[in-house]
Amino acid sequence: MSSTRHIEQEDLALFAMQLLSRDESATITTHVEHCAECRQQLAEVQGDLAVYAHTVDIHSPSAQARERLMKQVAREKKELPIERASTTGAGSGYRTGLDGDRTIEDEPQRSFGSRSFPWAGWAVAAGLAVAAGNLYHERDAMHGTLMRQSGQMDQLTADAASAQQVMDAMTDRTAKHVMLVKAPATPTPPVPQGRATYVPEKGTLIFLASNMEPLQPNKVYELWLIPADGRNPIPAGTFHPDDHGNASVILPPLPRRIEAKAFGVTIEDEGGSQTPTLPIIMAGS
Amino acid sequence: MYREMGLANAPPQSSQDDAALLALVKRGNEHAMASLFDRYSAVVYSVALRVLRDPASAEDVLQEVFMQIWRSPDGFIATRGSLGGWLAVVSRNRSIDALRRKKPTEQVDEMVLAAPYNLANESERNSMMEKARGVIDKLPVEQRKTLEMAFYDGLTHSEIAEMTGEPLGTVKTRIRSALTTLRKAFQS
Repeated sequence: MSSTRHIEQEDLALFAMQLLSRDESATITTHVEHCAECRQQLAEVQGDLAVYAHTVDIHSPSAQARERLMKQVAREKKELPIERASTTGAGSGYRTGLDGDRTIEDEPQRSFGSRSFPWAGWAVAAGLAVAAGNLYHERDAMHGTLMRQSGQMDQLTADAASAQQVMDAMTDRTAKHVMLVKAPATPTPPVPQGRATYVPEKGTLIFLASNMEPLQPNKVYELWLIPADGRNPIPAGTFHPDDHGNASVILPPLPRRIEAKAFGVTIEDEGGSQTPTLPIIMAGS
Repeated sequence: MYREMGLANAPPQSSQDDAALLALVKRGNEHAMASLFDRYSAVVYSVALRVLRDPASAEDVLQEVFMQIWRSPDGFIATRGSLGGWLAVVSRNRSIDALRRKKPTEQVDEMVLAAPYNLANESERNSMMEKARGVIDKLPVEQRKTLEMAFYDGLTHSEIAEMTGEPLGTVKTRIRSALTTLRKAFQS
């Protein structure tokens, strides 16, 4: 065999039957690719072998073989390609070209992409469908969350408005504060009174006072929280009484979770103090 | 004879040619696939059975070959009406590969066949089979046996020469002569 001379018929027959060595086969393959005459000869040898194969004693495969194939075919269903003009009639379709310009089919060749990724389109479509479904469900869930949060916001707004109204009423300097007590048998002068409402867990304190005596200039009343654990008193805000002797301390900054043993009020210099100055003029526990 | 070959009980053949069926297969038409199977499964299976001598292995080759059609019908560079011939040769090659326990050779699957007859037509196919058998039966025994050993047993010319004690050149000549006789019978 030689790459320059034509391949002998004997070798073409052996080549067609895959009976040559790897090297010999490679040599013939290369030659045939570039030699139309040998390509023609090889095609004829293949045709001869096809005829010879048909001399075999014919046996039908089992019915299960057909069933097996069709099940496999069904499992590997194809995507349906976009309809395109194709002619598969008797006058067209498959032709062979042994002169090198053979035509497989009149139908246009599929692109590399469509051959290489035949399921890509469907995969993308399926992915988009799944993504769209997910987005729909996410949107639905977010809509529900939004509605719930909107309701909560309305409730909070209402609560805040109510709280603000309470705050405004308690701190309004024009508000009239009246404390009702058991009517005394004989009139007595009013005494200073204070009412502290304290929530240790939250550090929330509201203090309302009445009948407070006016202070000297540069002096201020200071409220104290006396811890139950024996720590030093904690300043809980300063206040000046109004013209009617009323005063309040609303939500002063206090640490949380401090159990209160008692509350007290002292008179301090303007600006307040970090330690109470005796005497304690008011106290309650 | 056709009754012996099982063709008498074969389902009615479609009038569609192989190219039309392949085009339908390409579009995912399972009925077209079934039609091709009904048309050519007997030949494909029989060739595989002759090589492998085992029905289960032959059915494996049958399945493999037809699934190849289903998966890549474009891979069939077929002369009009020669799909049957192509399938018969591919069945033989796949069976030899199975016999040798080697990977399928794509090289031969890409072969081009020169075939002037229309194997899609049942009567033409049967006529061709009968004629080919007649030609082979009349071959000298040495030629017939040598071709049989090469084609169905997958023996190389060296192996045949060793087994028969004939020179390598003689083995090659016998194979070529047998095929040439077969070709001339169909050209006449």
